[in-house]
Amino acid sequence: MLLQGTDPQILTQPLLRFDMKSSVLDWLGIILKRDLIIAFRRSSTYITPLVFFLIVITFFPLALGPQDSLLSSLAPGVIWIAALLASLLAVESIFSEDFRDGSLDDFFVSLEPSFILVFAKVMIHWLITGLPILIASSLAAIILYLPLESFVPMILSLLLGTSFMSLLGALGAALSLGKSAILSAIIVLPFSIPTLLMGTSVVTFSLNNQDYSGFLMIMGAMLAIGIPLLCLLTVEALLLNYD
Amino acid sequence: MLPNLKVENLSCVRSEKAIFKNLNFEVLPGQNIEIIGSNGSGKTTLLRTLLGLINKEEGIINWLDENNNFNEYRSFDCFYQGHQMGIKNMLTVFENLKLTHNAKGMNVEDINKCLERVGLNKTNEMASDLSVGQKKRISIARWLLKDFKIYFIDEPFTALDDRASDLIKEIINELNQKGSSFVITGHRSSNINATLIEI
Repeated sequence: MLLQGTDPQILTQPLLRFDMKSSVLDWLGIILKRDLIIAFRRSSTYITPLVFFLIVITFFPLALGPQDSLLSSLAPGVIWIAALLASLLAVESIFSEDFRDGSLDDFFVSLEPSFILVFAKVMIHWLITGLPILIASSLAAIILYLPLESFVPMILSLLLGTSFMSLLGALGAALSLGKSAILSAIIVLPFSIPTLLMGTSVVTFSLNNQDYSGFLMIMGAMLAIGIPLLCLLTVEALLLNYD
Repeated sequence: MLPNLKVENLSCVRSEKAIFKNLNFEVLPGQNIEIIGSNGSGKTTLLRTLLGLINKEEGIINWLDENNNFNEYRSFDCFYQGHQMGIKNMLTVFENLKLTHNAKGMNVEDINKCLERVGLNKTNEMASDLSVGQKKRISIARWLLKDFKIYFIDEPFTALDDRASDLIKEIINELNQKGSSFVITGHRSSNINATLIEI
């Protein structure tokens, strides 16, 4: 659905024209700066997923005992499930505050492309959940006795996978706006299965000294398709909340 | 003088109940429209329908473009302020103005002038520490960031003391002089110079 009051040319022209391009970048910069300031002042937004991720990881050696072969064979699945669940913790908050305080209305009434708003929100979600998880995953790998040569594939798979999760999370958050917080996680989880399978396969294949590049390519392709497609679907889902 | 916005036979239906029917009005530069109605009469729905946030049921909403033609797509920026004012509690008074797309390219002095005009001097105070009335003043300061052709303001006089109400009337008058128009809603007439529409 295109906003009735918005010129459709806005969607097709801007990226090619320098003035509009700079306007779009300004717009992106303002949203990023504003939301990052708010996130850093409200530290729970980035600390909670990080602490949750590390707690889940440390529970496994405590429950199973310090058997390095068992832990390292379980590590790909454990790290990935913990990362997936941790990234979903902050999903509900992607749009809820803007919706409650009326900022979202302002975004849609402006003539700037709404796609940029969603893309900025996805980037912020990744910066406050995906990035800390990515950094903490090295510690998780040490705790779970993951061999050093699997570190790079693990980081690469998490980089692509958590970014895709943020995109999916934005769509889930938009569909469940104003409803129960758990609903967005329930919407997102089934769609995260392919990412989970690909991500764990990358780490498992690297553990077995097999070629894992194919899985990374598929994850990259999912992300490349997901950015335009899921951002546009999220815009549509957000607009449903006004009708 | 051509109107910036022309509304013809606008109707909106929700759950098979007509919220408003066959509304006709024009928004001329420098002139105001005041939409009066009781709670639930559809004032907010009307503003959102005009701005394209809600699909209209019937009728025509035409916007003037740069070639003086009317078409259904808006090509100029409008200001919309709903019941919620878009104020971020975790930002300072200054940041609440600076970090909006309307403040693009504005320097610190320009923004401080807008805040001074509405009587807000403690610009580094967190918005969470302000009263509802003071937050409303931040939202009024946002009107001054840029000259918009039309301001759509939902119940601007709610939760304000007499001084703040007078300030709003003054600012509306000033912006009218510059050619801006206001479409505002309320439960009763606010005594600003406006065409009244009851829904």
